[in-house]
Formats: sequence, C-alpha cells, structure tokens
Amino acid sequence: MTTKAINNKPAQAAKRKKIWRTLWDQKYLMLMSIPVLLYVLFFNYYPLWGWRYAFQNLNLNNLKKGADWIGFENFTWLFNRPEFINSIRNTLAMSTINLIVGTIASIVLAILLNEVRNKAFKRTVQTVTYLPHFLSMVIVVGMAQNMFMSDGPINNMLIAAKLVDSPVYWLGEGKYFWFLVAIINVWKEVGWNSIIYISTMTSIDPTLYEAASIDGAGRFKRILHVTLPGIKSTFMVLLIMNIGHLMEAGFEIQYLMGNDLNIDFSQTIDVFVMKYGISAGNYGRAIASGMFKSVVGIILLFGANFIAKKLDEDTLL
Amino acid sequence: MKKFLAGILALIMVLSLCSFAVAEEPITVTVFRGDPGDQPTDDNKIYKLIEEEFGIKFEFEFLAGDLDETLGTKLMNEDYPDLFDGGNSAEKLINAGALINLLDYMSEEKTPNLWNHIAAIKDQIVNENGELFIIPNYGINYNEQVVNACNGPAFFLQKQVLAWAGYPQVKTLNEYFDLIEKFIAENPTDANGAKYEGFAILCEDWRHFCLINPVQHLMGQPNEGEVFINRTADENGNHEVDVFIVQDYAKPYYKKLNEMFNKGLINADTFVMNYDQYIAKLSSGVVLGMFDQTWDFGPATDALNTAEMFGNTYVALPLVYDESYGFGAISEQYLNGGVPNKDRGFGISVSCEYPERLVMMFEELLSDKWQTILQWGIEGEDYYVENGRLLMTKEQYNQRADATWKMANMAATIWESSPKKQGLMDDGNAWTPGDQGEILMAFMSDYDKEFLGKYGFTKWADFFNAPCELAPWGEAWQIDKAPINDDYTDFNSIQDKWLPICIMSADDATFDANWDAFQAEIAPSAKVYEDFMQEEVMKLVNK
Repeated sequence: MTTKAINNKPAQAAKRKKIWRTLWDQKYLMLMSIPVLLYVLFFNYYPLWGWRYAFQNLNLNNLKKGADWIGFENFTWLFNRPEFINSIRNTLAMSTINLIVGTIASIVLAILLNEVRNKAFKRTVQTVTYLPHFLSMVIVVGMAQNMFMSDGPINNMLIAAKLVDSPVYWLGEGKYFWFLVAIINVWKEVGWNSIIYISTMTSIDPTLYEAASIDGAGRFKRILHVTLPGIKSTFMVLLIMNIGHLMEAGFEIQYLMGNDLNIDFSQTIDVFVMKYGISAGNYGRAIASGMFKSVVGIILLFGANFIAKKLDEDTLL
Repeated sequence: MKKFLAGILALIMVLSLCSFAVAEEPITVTVFRGDPGDQPTDDNKIYKLIEEEFGIKFEFEFLAGDLDETLGTKLMNEDYPDLFDGGNSAEKLINAGALINLLDYMSEEKTPNLWNHIAAIKDQIVNENGELFIIPNYGINYNEQVVNACNGPAFFLQKQVLAWAGYPQVKTLNEYFDLIEKFIAENPTDANGAKYEGFAILCEDWRHFCLINPVQHLMGQPNEGEVFINRTADENGNHEVDVFIVQDYAKPYYKKLNEMFNKGLINADTFVMNYDQYIAKLSSGVVLGMFDQTWDFGPATDALNTAEMFGNTYVALPLVYDESYGFGAISEQYLNGGVPNKDRGFGISVSCEYPERLVMMFEELLSDKWQTILQWGIEGEDYYVENGRLLMTKEQYNQRADATWKMANMAATIWESSPKKQGLMDDGNAWTPGDQGEILMAFMSDYDKEFLGKYGFTKWADFFNAPCELAPWGEAWQIDKAPINDDYTDFNSIQDKWLPICIMSADDATFDANWDAFQAEIAPSAKVYEDFMQEEVMKLVNK
C-alpha cells in the first residue's frame, strides 16, 4: 500500500528533502518505536552472537576454561544420530498436520459462525471455543491423558459403541501420537485462530452478498464466491508466517505427552535438544541444532514468500 | 586537646571495629537447594540460635523448575550462591569447578568433628586428585546403624493381601505374584467398586529404576544401580562387573512380568504414567504391588495413612528367584551397610567470601550439642528426657510432620544438606527421632502393631536379612557417568523403550523375538557402560 504513495518520481534533492520532512513529521512515532527496536536488538539480534558456540565443544566441564573451536563437529554428531533425523521428521510431520488441520478447522468454524444470525448463540460458541487457548498446556495434556487412558472415557465410549473390542492404547503406541497432537491442538486453538478470520469476514462489503443473492447465489455459492475470496489475503499472510514456523512443532505437548513407548514418533527437535543438549550439559550441540532450526525456518519463510509472489498473490515481505 | 580527644576517639573506634571483626562480624550467606522447598519464617527459633551463636544469617533459594536446566544456567552465568546444593546433579557443580576443596580448610586439630566424621570413609569420598567438595549429607552412622525399616528398594505389597492370605512368609518372586493373582481372582474390586491392579511399574525419567533395577536384587545383591558386581575378588583381586540387563538371569524377570501382563494383572497405562499419576493411583489404594524404593512413594503412604486406609499401605518384601529358575539357592541382601550419600549435600562455592567461617560453622554444627538441637529441637519444648531417654509426646511428634510448624521451629533446609550424625549417641539414644525405638512403637497405628505381631516381628526391617557390610566402592550407582554421557543416555533410552515392549508381548514367541531385538540393540552401549564401570569400581577398590 505504501509503495503506491511514493509512486510519483520527483527530483533527487526534493526527494531527499521530503524524506527528512517525513522523518521530522513522524518524530513522535519514531520515538515510540525505539523501545521496540531496542527489544528486538537485545532479545533477537544480540543472542545471535551465541551462535559461535555451535562451533565449539562447550559443555559443563569447560565452562570456565573456555571451549575449543571444533568446526562442524557438533553438526556432524547431530546428523549422525538417527534420533535427530527422526526428530526432524516428527517435527515437520506434526507441524504440517497441525497447520493443515488447524487452518481448515478454524476457517470452517469461522464460516459457520459467520453464517449464524443469532448473536447470542454466536457469542457463546465463540467464547466457549476460544477459552481453552488460555489453559496451560500442562493442564490440557493432563486432561487429554485421562481421556485417552486405557480405561478412560474415550475407550469406554468406543467399546460401548462396539467400534473396538479391546481398549485402544492411545498413549503408548507411536502411530497414534501425531493424531493426538493434532486433536489437542485443534481443541485448544481453534476458537482463538478463527477470531482473525471472523474479523476479516465482518469487513467484507455486505453489498457483495446482496449482489450475489440477487444473481441467484444460494448460501453455499455465497460462501464459495464471496466469503472465501474475502479471506484469501489473510489466509495467505497467515500461511506464509506459519510456514516460517514449520520447524517449531511445539515443545510442551511432545515433552509432556511423549514417553519411552511413543518416542519414535513424539521426539521433536526441541525435545531432542533438551535431552541430549541441555540436560546433558552439551550446550554446543543444543545451540547447533537451534541454529539449524532457525536457518531452515528462514529458508522456508522466504521460499513460501517467493512462491506466493510467483503466484501473484499478496505477499508478506 | 581537641585533637588529642579526637585521636583517642578514633583509636577507640578502630579498636572496637577490629575486635568486632575478630569476634564474628555478622554475615548473610546465600544458600541454594537443588530441590523445591519452603522459606522458613523470619523468627524461626533454630535459625535465630544459629544467628546468635555464629552471626550467620541465611538467604535461601529453592529449586523452581528443572534441576539440570537451573544448574546449567547458574554455571553458565557463574551465578553461585555461597552454599551450593546441586541436588541429584551435584556432579555438575564439581565438574564445572564451582566448588572449593573442603580439605584445604579441614585438619585434625582445627576441625576435629568434621575430620572424625569422614575419617572412616575418606578414601571413598575423596576424588583422584585428593579433593573433597561435598561432605555426604546422609549415611554416616555413629556407634551403630539403626535399621527399623527398609528405606530403599524392595518389592512392595499391600498389607491387606498378606492379611487376607493369613500372614504367609513371601520370599520369592513366584510366591509374590501367585499371591497377587489369587487375591485379585477373589477380590477383583475394592469396597468402592474400583478395579484392583496387580502390579505397577513407574517408568518416568530417572525414576525408571522401578523398571530396570529389580533383577540385581532377585539375584541377591543390594542396590548397585544397573550393574552386578561380584563381591568376592578373583585371583587377580579383580571384582567382575556385569551389566545385568544383558545377562541370562535378566530375562526370567521380564518373562514373568509378560506373563502377568497377559493375565491382566498389569495395566498397560503403567508404562505411560508420570510420577504424579503414579502417586495418585497408589494413594487411591487400588495398586496391590510394585517394585520401588520406600522414599519414592512417601506421599502415597502419607495419603493412605491420613485416610486411615492402613490395609492399603505397603510392606516391603525382599524377594529372590526361587531354585526353579536354575540360579541356585539365592539368599536375599536388600539392605546395605550405611551408604554415605556421596557428592550430595552442601558445597561451598568458589565465589564465597568466607569459606573458613562456613567450614567452622559446619564443624560446630556437628558437635553433640548442635546435632541434638538440629535433630531433636529444644529440650522441654520439642522433646523431653525421661530416665536418660529422649522422648516425645504424641503432639510433639505429630507437629514435626506439620509443614507450617516446621517452617517456624526447625532448621530443616540447613540440616538436610549439612553433614549430620546418624545412628546412636554414645548414651544409646538415636540421633534422629525417627530412629528412636520407643517413639516408633508408641505412635504406630494399631493396624500395624497387630500386623507385625502376627509375624512375631517388632519392626519392619525384621522382614529382611541384616545389612551387609558396605563394599569398598560404596554403591555403584553413585559413580558419575559424565565421561560416557552419550552412551549412558543410549543405554537408558533403549531399556526404557524395549522393556515395556517386551512386557507387553502378546505371546511367548513374540516375547523371545522382542527380547532378542532388545539385546541386539543394547549390546554396544551396554559394553561401553560395563567397561567404564569395571574401571571405575576397581579404581575405588584400589584406592
């Protein structure tokens, strides 16, 4: 949007003058952005200096003496661990599943709520669905564990409905783990994530809906041709941002619900780092895998943005 | 004249300052404890006494969150308290060089109490370079080790099961599981209709010893961790160290558990439970038995006692393989001689400004006078003396379990991590009130008194053979595994993953296949671990 404002091309000097003028005019705005800038510098850029440890054998025994430079040894170690490769797979799988299932669920919820005309009902449903967002993951996982126990309510219902003969070992068998994580995440976040879509939908011009119905569009046609195109730009922006976070499948849920039986499916990069890096006191390795994660994250983000640009969609960057 | 007066005044002031410094200048000492805890009240009577006598005031910080993470951060930032207790990961403090060598401040003349305290075990606790960073907080006994009950590992069984069977002697693994099986067959649910579970196995994190440790005990060895050590040396003076999970005698135990699992006596959820869920389940009284250590499920015992569900509390049993397993007649040896809790307790950090004074404080606190104050309290207030015996009224005894009372009337935080006297005083009283026979008997529940009476016993330890003499290597689980960290992590992860799979095998053929796959996977890290332990144990033997 801002690109259009400075589309007319004035002479160089006038332009420079204009920049200074704009700067001066916006002095209060800039003053206000200083704390944010400092925050980003201190908490996001300054820690990058710590990346040097990724190339050192920093651990508890040489904290004081200072660690030695060991080149890419930490990275070689990581990529020679089958568990690490496994945890990359788990991370990507879980975040992709979460992204797809989570996005679809929140868009569907938003559309459904958008179609509801009864204000009181709409409000109630919205509140009920977003409240779990404020629960701590510890509580949510605790509840989920009780639900999915061998003799828990879910298994009892399945048996009562004659869908299974004997209890399903939800928590112990790795193959169910990704599915459980997806369900828990949807339950916890669907209401919260749909808020942004609902607000986008309310900003769609009502005359579009009127025009559509005059043209003979039914409810589904209106959703398909008015509502969905209306939220497309929001959807793209969120998608690109989320793709940048694909390497972050979350830590809490896997750490809390993971156990030795489902470890092949539950161990994400973060859990791996916790176990082999931080708890074992091998900080170099922890930082190396954190660095790997960030670099892949940046590549994914720019990649998604590039593709979106090629497709001539709204882009983020 | 004025100048003269001013001079005298100045002199007096300087002199008084000097003398003040020589007598104890009041200091505040920062303390970190590697486990969660509560701040004592400001007017705590024991800390007040310490402050009056030593001029030392404490400022406590307790663990909040993950221990390894917290220590890692503290070490990274060199943010050391004066008194540093690293809890279960204290090796980290030592390896990172955060603690001072206490021996620099100790000598027979200057600190006789401390010196005598560690004299007998000095070889065990001093490292290769002749340094000592932490004086063990527990396990150093005076006169005689008092063993009233099994505080460590054992197989546990609800008392009601034994009562139901007419108080039989249960000595072998097979007898134990047979009894559980019969009990459940006749009593599938408790009075409230909740289903009984035969046997529970806690597998979470470091508490997985409930899963991986039992085999050594079934073979008649006290707790050495994950290795079996031959107590008699071969002709070269070598004590053979074996990782027992890869030995022939490990398989029958897990085979037995597999059998119990397929009979429905073990709930599959036991392998995915965390500690809190485990304690909750035990507290509800539906778990008939488990392998564990007494201190590990203390909260459940307390809960059951408070609810007066005495029949659901547990009795510790020393089980072994019977002869049908083909390993001969095994005599149980669960109880070990007093085990100094090596590398656990307070160390003094390198950033402490008054190491000398703190060592002298520990020296004084180890005197008979202060040990009595720290463990028993103040005479007349917290205990009384009758015919030379230290005793407590029921009220005095019960208030010691009250957290609020403790915060105001006991110096528990300092006492727990400091060197302390255990066993018996020279006059025959126990150093710790909990060890004093009269007190234990007087306040035992009627149910327990009757239960012990049926067996003709007077204390819970009567179910066990007497403690054996402590081996020169202490207990091998105390050996620091930091040098083989990666392999040790693998060694544990593989067991944590495969043992439950083996136990849950559908039939014998599957069990054998799973067991073989498990053995193949664990062999390399087990070998590294075994070699390492062999070397470390012999180092301790030859010290």
